[in-house]
Amino acid sequence: MIWVWIALAPILGGLVYGGERVLRARMQRRQGPPVLQPFYDMFKLLDKRTLIVHAPHALLGVAHFFVLWFTVAAIFLGWNLLYIVFLHLFAQMLLILAGYSVRSAYSHLGANRELLMLIAYEPILILVAVGFYLQSGSFDIAQIVRGGGYLVQMPLLFVALAMIVPIKVKKSPFDVGEAHQEIVGGVEIEYSGLFYEFLYMSRFLEYIFIYSFVFIFAGVSYGLGAALVAGVFLLVNLVDNATARVRTMHMVKIIYAVALSLSIVNIMWIVL
Amino acid sequence: MKFFTAFRKKSPWILHYNAGSCNGCDIEILAALGPKFDLERFGVINTGNPKQSDIFLVTGPVTYRSRERLVELYSQIPEPKVVIAVGSCTATGGVFRGMYNVEDGIDQYIPVDVYVPGCASTPQLIIDAIVKALEILETKSKEIEKPFKLFGAIAMVGNKLSRLNMATRVKHDEI
Ligand code: SF4
Repeated sequence: MIWVWIALAPILGGLVYGGERVLRARMQRRQGPPVLQPFYDMFKLLDKRTLIVHAPHALLGVAHFFVLWFTVAAIFLGWNLLYIVFLHLFAQMLLILAGYSVRSAYSHLGANRELLMLIAYEPILILVAVGFYLQSGSFDIAQIVRGGGYLVQMPLLFVALAMIVPIKVKKSPFDVGEAHQEIVGGVEIEYSGLFYEFLYMSRFLEYIFIYSFVFIFAGVSYGLGAALVAGVFLLVNLVDNATARVRTMHMVKIIYAVALSLSIVNIMWIVL
Repeated sequence: MKFFTAFRKKSPWILHYNAGSCNGCDIEILAALGPKFDLERFGVINTGNPKQSDIFLVTGPVTYRSRERLVELYSQIPEPKVVIAVGSCTATGGVFRGMYNVEDGIDQYIPVDVYVPGCASTPQLIIDAIVKALEILETKSKEIEKPFKLFGAIAMVGNKLSRLNMATRVKHDEI
């Protein structure tokens, strides 16, 4: 059964992404595209001529997608949270290498920003994992979701996690990595057709990746988990519609000043 | 493939380029994309990236400064693609016709599929034009389409097609 879910993970993420586009449109009093729009986009991309800059560049994009898929599979199978964070790091590294491997200035800029985003959110993810370890005595997700009461013991870590969700799903105010108006999509810029499709799908998987961190905060109660995910989802989209993009360095500073200190305070509070 | 062709008209991604217009038509395009007219309900995204777009939305008569970019952007869009000329000055030169620095319409340089009249054209007309362009997009094949002028050779590198030199620069004595 769990393997079916793993196989369907990109489709699940696509539905979330489609639903989000409708939600954001409704928040702006627009009608918005159909919920299945991401899949229409993907089918259309299959019908385009594919332009490739060079083979390693295209391949790194594909590898990024599959490593990310593996990461999501590891989450569904309840593996070690630290492994999952580092697997995700590996997937991001492949994407950044792809960005540096072509000569486009925008691609390089995008890769730089992708690195800075990594620097911003990676410590928070690790601290969240450490918090779970201190609470449940294990890094295994399977073990963690058998416990409960995380929200009471680690509220500040939850706030910190909610702050990095917009970075991961590329939403304002922290959508510096994509930034269509300034760097035209950043690392994605040189991809087209079939290979852009893989990057498009890895965005779906990012949704599942980051929101499953939100989900396991509820522990044993799946209903509460779903409520948490829905709440954070709404909040992120509200903030996205209401704010402008901050500059890259400001993003790192904000995350370090607020989210990182919140997490450290929370960890110390648990330990002491 | 036949099955996927049906989805072309469900997800048109737009590249908007200003080839020296007065900005009147660009504002109308943005109005068409904005909440009131909401082009996104047809699945339209304003990508800004030629390699991922299907519809080339051009405004402005081609000025001498912009013609190389116009041809370059056009050659970078992967087929199938359609071109929409928005505004009178894009079709004929409009109020700029005959001026010392313009080329009187983009069809001197690239093949145009849909012309939108009006100075400035309205969001309703632009939406109509996109719907018309989608009909044309469905009938197109993946054959390479070439610009008329400023066009370099389609070279083969190994057994792969290279688009590197498809757009050439204007030589100085031609100006
Ligand atoms: S058609 Fe008229 S309004 Fe539109 S860009 Fe040209 S001059 Fe401006």
